[in-house]
Amino acid sequence: MQRHPPGFRGLALALALLTAAVGLSVVLGMLLFWLIQSRIPELPAYYLLATISVALLPLLLLFRRRFPFLADWYYLLPATLFLLAFTVYPIVLTMGLAFTNFSGQNYGRPDRATETAVTYQAPATLQFASDPVKALSCDQSCVGRQVEVYQGNDRSRLKIVAESADSLTLNRAPSFEPNPERGQLYVARINNFRFIGLGNFTFILSSASTALWPVFRWNVIFAAGSVIMTALLGLLLGVVLNDSKLRFRNFYRTALIISWALPNIITIQMWNALLNQQFGAINRLLGLLGVYSIPWLTQTEWAKLGILLVNLWLGFPFMMTATLGALSTIPNELYESAQIDGASPWQAFRGITLPLLRTAFTPILLTSFAFNFNNFNLIYLLLPQGGPAVPGGLPTANSTDILISWAYKTAFRSEGGSAYGLGSAIALIIFVVTVGISVFNFRITGAFKEERR
Amino acid sequence: MKLVRNVIAYLVGAALVVYGALLFRGMVRDVPHTKAFGSVFIANGWVIVLGSMAAVAVVLLLGSLGYTALANRASGRERSPWPLFRQAVTHVALWVLIVITYYPVIQVVGASFDPRNNLFSFRQVKSSNLLVKAKVLPDLAGASLENYAKLVEGVIVPAWQWVLLVVLGVLLAIALSLAVARRLDPGAHSLERWQNRTLLAFAVLLFTGLALISPGQFTGITTESHFVLWVRNTLLLSGATGLLAVLLTATAGYAFARFKFPGRYGMLMGFVFIQMFPGFLALIAIYYLLSSLDLLNTFFGLLLAYSGGVISFGTWVFKGYVESLSPSLEEAAMIDGASRWGSFVRVLLPLAAPMFVFIFLLQFVGTYSEFILASLVLTGVKSWTVGIGLYNFTTGSFSTRWGVFAAASVIGSLPILATFYGFQRYFVSGYTAGAVKE
Amino acid sequence: MRKVLLTLFLALFGSVFAQGAITVWTHFGGPELAYLQSSAQSFEKATGTKVTIVTVPFGDIKQKFILGAPQGKAADLVVTLPQDQMGEMAVAGVLEPLDKYVTQNYVSSLEPVAVDAFTYGGKLFGMPMFAESVALIYNKKLVPNPPKNWDEFLAMAQKMTTGDSFGFLYNEADAYFNFGFFNMNGAYVFGKNADGSANTSDIGLGGDAGVAALNFIKDLRYKYGLVPDGVDYGVADGAFKDGALAMILNGPWALGDYKKAGLDFGVMPFPTPPSAKKSWGPFVGVQGVVVNAYSKDKVAAVNFAKFLVTPDSQIAFNEAGGRIPVSKSAVAQLASDPVVKGFTDAIALGTPMPNVPEMGKVWGPLADAIKLAQAKQDSNTTQIASDMVSQIQKAIAGSN
Repeated sequence: MQRHPPGFRGLALALALLTAAVGLSVVLGMLLFWLIQSRIPELPAYYLLATISVALLPLLLLFRRRFPFLADWYYLLPATLFLLAFTVYPIVLTMGLAFTNFSGQNYGRPDRATETAVTYQAPATLQFASDPVKALSCDQSCVGRQVEVYQGNDRSRLKIVAESADSLTLNRAPSFEPNPERGQLYVARINNFRFIGLGNFTFILSSASTALWPVFRWNVIFAAGSVIMTALLGLLLGVVLNDSKLRFRNFYRTALIISWALPNIITIQMWNALLNQQFGAINRLLGLLGVYSIPWLTQTEWAKLGILLVNLWLGFPFMMTATLGALSTIPNELYESAQIDGASPWQAFRGITLPLLRTAFTPILLTSFAFNFNNFNLIYLLLPQGGPAVPGGLPTANSTDILISWAYKTAFRSEGGSAYGLGSAIALIIFVVTVGISVFNFRITGAFKEERR
Repeated sequence: MKLVRNVIAYLVGAALVVYGALLFRGMVRDVPHTKAFGSVFIANGWVIVLGSMAAVAVVLLLGSLGYTALANRASGRERSPWPLFRQAVTHVALWVLIVITYYPVIQVVGASFDPRNNLFSFRQVKSSNLLVKAKVLPDLAGASLENYAKLVEGVIVPAWQWVLLVVLGVLLAIALSLAVARRLDPGAHSLERWQNRTLLAFAVLLFTGLALISPGQFTGITTESHFVLWVRNTLLLSGATGLLAVLLTATAGYAFARFKFPGRYGMLMGFVFIQMFPGFLALIAIYYLLSSLDLLNTFFGLLLAYSGGVISFGTWVFKGYVESLSPSLEEAAMIDGASRWGSFVRVLLPLAAPMFVFIFLLQFVGTYSEFILASLVLTGVKSWTVGIGLYNFTTGSFSTRWGVFAAASVIGSLPILATFYGFQRYFVSGYTAGAVKE
Repeated sequence: MRKVLLTLFLALFGSVFAQGAITVWTHFGGPELAYLQSSAQSFEKATGTKVTIVTVPFGDIKQKFILGAPQGKAADLVVTLPQDQMGEMAVAGVLEPLDKYVTQNYVSSLEPVAVDAFTYGGKLFGMPMFAESVALIYNKKLVPNPPKNWDEFLAMAQKMTTGDSFGFLYNEADAYFNFGFFNMNGAYVFGKNADGSANTSDIGLGGDAGVAALNFIKDLRYKYGLVPDGVDYGVADGAFKDGALAMILNGPWALGDYKKAGLDFGVMPFPTPPSAKKSWGPFVGVQGVVVNAYSKDKVAAVNFAKFLVTPDSQIAFNEAGGRIPVSKSAVAQLASDPVVKGFTDAIALGTPMPNVPEMGKVWGPLADAIKLAQAKQDSNTTQIASDMVSQIQKAIAGSN
């Protein structure tokens, strides 16, 4: 077998070859698709994926015959292609949106409220019945603005180069031939979608003291608190249930993972109802114990505690299972020899169990932290409004919101007003923060060093 | 130096505890003195509960002392009573924990049988049982299956599906009895093979059956009458996502674990860090991508959208698993003339089966609860998933339908619950394999 | 009946129908959905146009329609859209202006408030189908004689608020439900320009009027002891259905469920307290049928829309779901219905929800201000009100 060319040159060569193969197959796939489409016009576009795959396979075989070392890369190819097409590409687009004012209102499409009936005069003039600036509600002047001219199903996007009291001049004639017999000709101004540089980030920073900073702080506290609480209870249970002398321990193990086994879309919404201050089952239970109705979900601190407790309920079985898994790898002989050496159970625990758990648990804790840091389902399903409002804060970033729910509400819920651009900017911030956490995570567990072999 | 560090650590810990205690005291002070609506309020009820717990502990203590004394006298040995007492207390504590863990579940199951459409029950409950009267336990006096009936309203089930259901039931019964037989006779390997075959047949039949359920069978007008269809959609979608996860990550994880090509480290980090972008915030871009491929409102499109979340984690876990295996077997196969691919397929894949089950299950369970991407990509009641439907029950415009929600939750969690308990050991071994490696 | 309706409809519009297929997105459920489906069938029988009804959750419609319409992936019609979502969708370019499809007669046959609600930028963007607002709904078993004024209301509500029953509850944290209390204190959302359009730089929710409203909302909990913490729509609605609540602030959409629960109820406007500047008046929402600007078959879509909004259709729809019609003749025919009368009285006192896209930036801060005012007995409502206004201003400025 031919060896892989080493170093950067080898990498560049391999990547170039792969890109060529994929690029070529995309071209061939498109050709093939068009060929079939000319026969079957209603062919759905996703057949393109099939034709590209059909083109790719022989190409790959061909390439491997000439460059056998590429075979190693073929193992990575399916996953990489999927990642590029359905993850990297959308992410790159989204990052681009973070620097625009893209939203429902600034959508880059004709604003129908400005739709005006016009008559067309060649070569490129639109005749209005009244003042065009007012009809198209341009700020001062319509010159330089984009408009769409349409008649029936024909439409053409053009730019205004000059205006008069009752007419506008376009930069060129529409792509279709306006014809009064085919119905009324209309014009509408394109709404205001544009690149705004760092505008979204400036907006986020300008409300940092009531949104970004408190949300980030709670996000960290929430993730860390969840990990600590679940890990402590999980460890305790794991150690207790690992005791081979305890009867029915398999029953307990099985019984106690119920909250992990139930789909969280169900359990979290269920908790929302159970924690209601006046009517929830939890406060009714507490009433039996002589506790007054606790304002879970409606007072900032209690809402946060409520979230942590719900996450404890959701998360401890995972930690318990992880502990049991880690403990099951300790050979029993270790304990036996410790016992022979006269060590007490506590000494055995400190000397054998804890050190092992420490190494086994570090990655689990860090993964758990990263997961909880973006635990959207819990935060959003338990408190869709984000809990109690923050004085002077944004309606999308209330007191129990974390970064990811803030971003989601900004872009996709009514309180954010479809601010896709702003939402993308927050998503970008989350990305940076999460990568930071993971780099830290990898440093601690030594994964970087290990992988760099 | 170490001492200083320890002291600082303890001081910080103590400061946190004090801060937490102060915060909690303030929170307690702020709780208004109101009682939950229609609840039974027992002032100092906690004293009674704690007192009875202490009483139980004393009884256990006396019991273990007495039992050990008797046993020692009978056998003439000197055994300590403490292990017995400790075990008894552990059992009691675990049962308390079980009660706390199951309390919310019981509430939801109870609500699913309550024909009035809410979890908040405003009626006066007349019952001699204090717990029922306080509405702590569900009042089953007016229980009915109305909520469940709503979920299957207008569903037409043809005869062959009944037959299939019976066959599935028989297969499951066989698998279960084989499991019991294995428990009784752990040495019998042929039993294990048969059990696996039955389970495989069950899974294949189940998913074929699910795929053959047609939306036309659901003739009900209400939204919730399509619930069974949502379960079917979700199972198909989750199953396909799990399969895709296995297919894509197996070769990638293997390559990262075994090959030493230039750029390996960079690629690996790329795989891992791409995952850090909160995927569903790229919703708009995913929408346009699927739209341009004519894949909106198709399960295939949603599957492709999910694939990104699948790859990174699965690859990482599988890579770790392969690294924990010795390469000697594959090398032996290659010396015997097998190609790289041949040794991968014939030697490694069978070894890695439990890991595949783990990756599949994780993805299966994870996809089941997703609703954000699904609700954007899928339009129309017939293509909804369980997640969209359940979310819709509680957030519909001006209505929260807890009764139907509870019934749907009970049925909707059954498949996941069965998967989880059926494959429990794979979850444990999967996480263990991950944990031990590092 | 249906046949008569159809012949009538055909006689009225008598246009030539093209064969084709259209898709409708709807958030209706229950009897209203059944009604819509049967309408679609009769329409298909009469015209040969196949109508597919697709259920989309209310909260998802705007999002999916804005994203999908230009891609050709959205329905031809939405049945129905509230007017506060209409402005944003019109600006996004996905709604077809309907002036060119309707006659002046049609427009003048509607209640003016409904026409205003769907007029944006001087154009009609939807065909109004029904109006809605909140009003005081009381359980006649618990309140045999409805309160004549605020003092009676307060006394009754307080008397019935015991540990086991409630006198008065409502969706306390929601901006829409609370707006009547702002209105009665003289607060408004947007001022008006000379030409009658909304002036989005004049926000009238703050100032003394806004503070008075927030104080009143706060008083409902702390001074009058009526609405405890943690009451949301589901709680109030559930308590009323279970007969544990005497009076609720709710809208016509809930009546179907109340009838099903076997309640005998009455409807009236909320009694105005003496401290208010004018009478209580809720937000008036109008929901209408809108047409996709990118629809392949606008004529068929508009025809189905017209079919759905005829006066007879509105009456039939009222029977199905209890919604309040907006056609003058339908209102006149239903005038003797006490429930319809209760709501039309409330609607007459109310203010239409603004339909400009900027309204989307108001809901969040307004709801937050209400929650903050309720949170503590000593909450600083002056500060909260001024924070709210600056939030709204900032959000509107940020969106350009």
